Amino acid sequence: MTTDATPTGSLLAALVERVTAHADDELVLGHRDAEWTGHAPLLEEDIALANLAQDEIGHAITWYGVRSGLDGSDPDRLVYFRGADEYRSSHLVALPRGDWAFTMLRQYLFDAYETELLARLARSSYQPLAQAAVKIAREELFHLRHSQLWLERLAYGTDESRARLEDALAAAWPLLPQLLAPMPGDAELVAAGMWPAPVEVGSATVDRVTGTLTALGLRAPPLADGQVVERHVRQPPELGELLSVLQSVARADPEAQAW
Amino acid sequence: MSRWEVFKQDAPGKPHQAVGSVHATDARHALINAAHVFVRRPAAASLWVAHASAIFSRTRQELAAQELSTVDRVDPAATAAPGAPLEPYEVFRKSSNRRSMTFADHVGTVEASSAAHALELALAEPTADTALAWWIVPTAAIAASDPADAPAWFEPARDKLYKQQSQYGSGPTPTVRRADP
Amino acid sequence: MDRTEDDAALAEFEARIAAGEKIEPGDWMPDAYRHQLIRMIGQHAHSEIVGMLPEGAWIGSAPSLRRKLILVAKVQDEAGHGQYLYHAAETLGASREEMTEALLAGRAKYSSVFNYPTLTWADVGMIGWLVDGAAIRNQLMLAQCSYGPYSRAMVRICSEETFHHKQGREMIVLYASGTPSQRQMAQDALDRWWWPSLMMLGPHDADSPNTPQLVRWGIKTKTNDEVRREFVNEHVPELQAAGLTIPDPAMERDEVTGDWRHGPIDWDEFWSVVKGNGPCNAERIAARTKAHEEGRWVRDALAAFEAGRSAAGARA
Repeated sequence: MTTDATPTGSLLAALVERVTAHADDELVLGHRDAEWTGHAPLLEEDIALANLAQDEIGHAITWYGVRSGLDGSDPDRLVYFRGADEYRSSHLVALPRGDWAFTMLRQYLFDAYETELLARLARSSYQPLAQAAVKIAREELFHLRHSQLWLERLAYGTDESRARLEDALAAAWPLLPQLLAPMPGDAELVAAGMWPAPVEVGSATVDRVTGTLTALGLRAPPLADGQVVERHVRQPPELGELLSVLQSVARADPEAQAW
Repeated sequence: MSRWEVFKQDAPGKPHQAVGSVHATDARHALINAAHVFVRRPAAASLWVAHASAIFSRTRQELAAQELSTVDRVDPAATAAPGAPLEPYEVFRKSSNRRSMTFADHVGTVEASSAAHALELALAEPTADTALAWWIVPTAAIAASDPADAPAWFEPARDKLYKQQSQYGSGPTPTVRRADP
Repeated sequence: MDRTEDDAALAEFEARIAAGEKIEPGDWMPDAYRHQLIRMIGQHAHSEIVGMLPEGAWIGSAPSLRRKLILVAKVQDEAGHGQYLYHAAETLGASREEMTEALLAGRAKYSSVFNYPTLTWADVGMIGWLVDGAAIRNQLMLAQCSYGPYSRAMVRICSEETFHHKQGREMIVLYASGTPSQRQMAQDALDRWWWPSLMMLGPHDADSPNTPQLVRWGIKTKTNDEVRREFVNEHVPELQAAGLTIPDPAMERDEVTGDWRHGPIDWDEFWSVVKGNGPCNAERIAARTKAHEEGRWVRDALAAFEAGRSAAGARA
């Protein structure tokens, strides 16, 4: 049964955390994607990455909007005036853009995760969440097609492109568990049917990406078993550096009512 | 990397129109690039791509200068031995010098033994008199976007209002436009 | 083709243009027409590509989510416009790789307006309002160009450029009546971008030797000074209505014609920047060179993938 009714108490707090984490992921990833604009290996990809960036930032706006419906917060205030330690984004999206192989591999991992997450969020008992998931899943399908296409071309291009892809995998893969990790309020959200169980999303994501990587002749290193990973860990320095750029103009004139 | 000509259909029932080209490694890549390059704003229902080498092109001036039957026999797009089997070819025609962002519209399919033969058949149609330029493409050379992909590939552009000029005001004062001399 | 045939072909070519016909790939054209067009279209394409850099630098610190989205879309459009223009040049026999190498080697030009730095966030808005405002006038004219592929690229570009202009104006009008800091930022941006925008429309007619032939071949339909007059007449009232001051003490209205007359342009600065001595010339080319070089392994991978597929196809 779906509801529009705003949850309260600890359920509200848990949902705000989860939605914020996802919004922050989309924003940080969109910011990284946009860094390629004007610097991509070919013109068609300047255009493509800019599409991805607009989509991710647009998704972030949607998710911050869901949070706004929950607690009345202002998306721009959240984005431009929180410190790094108040952000709930994953480490994976905060890493610098690296080379083209890293950007495509990181994008693919996040796209795969989002695909599994959104498919289940579309059945969320909290209606605004379900609606957002359905709409966003549409664009994610195209993203997944694009990033998978690139993995194939890099894997079967030159020795150099394959080597770079392997390096990218070595750098990104260890951060996957943190992206998939549970957050403190998850049990309550899952019980209320508002958010899918992280274990379920996590294993579906790992199955999906392992299948793709194996088909490309890439070996996904085994994830340390029994490793307890949480989303709520100290943010990496890269996020602080990113935010110092992202927030610089807004923070220079905090009185400004509109930009 | 090769050039792939792109054809966009704005809405179901409208013809595919030549809109430009993309660089890509193969048809799948070309279709995705075409979506990125040509469907940033509404509207699109379908995309076709064809490797640039598969396009047989003739302008009215070129046709006046050289008979189709004397087309150079080493032109692979054009020739076929007499009695060769008939294959389908897609016909695109430009009919106007009016300003436009598209080149030629898809006007139909013909069964022919070669691209030159396909154009001869197209020229025999009564509507051919107004044609300014023709593109003939073997049907087999065209890769089409999957209709099932349209919601993911094309629909999202409709919601991106922030990049549509109609969303922005007309300015602080009405613009006084003097007539050109 | 002997001389008489050449003259006849040229006469027919010029008659077609005078009659408003489009010249399409495959049609006869004088070598000079082809070369002029490749030069012009190339310059135009390079301007779009280099033009991504001054504004692209501000995407990271766009001060609101909406502005960030808008700026990514705008810079993306510039890449797209470059893409349409490279396509038009390719129909004339130029290759994108050759054109890129010419740009990076300093043999090809691009609009010198992009050799100025974007010092503040408000520069983004001012570029949209003025630089894209000037570009639109040029583009509207070029949309009537006699060469089909260039004309079509320009029509497509025109349909997208209006958004650039309007979002820039919206931003600056807002800041011009915002906080003291925003107002100062807007005025400062105007002070630095007004003259480069005027100069972007090209040298005075008396100093533009190419123009008469370009006009006869339907490549240009208005002179630089005509377009500049239209630009000034449109923008001066709007900038003043927003509460900004035009940085031109000699600017005055002609009571008879209604035209706004600007003061003398410093052409020394213009030519210096065109010759490569602008504040950011070296930086722009260095950035594009870096992107090109660092992307080489990617393009090589794509080429190898494509060749591998063809080989596999041939073996199948």
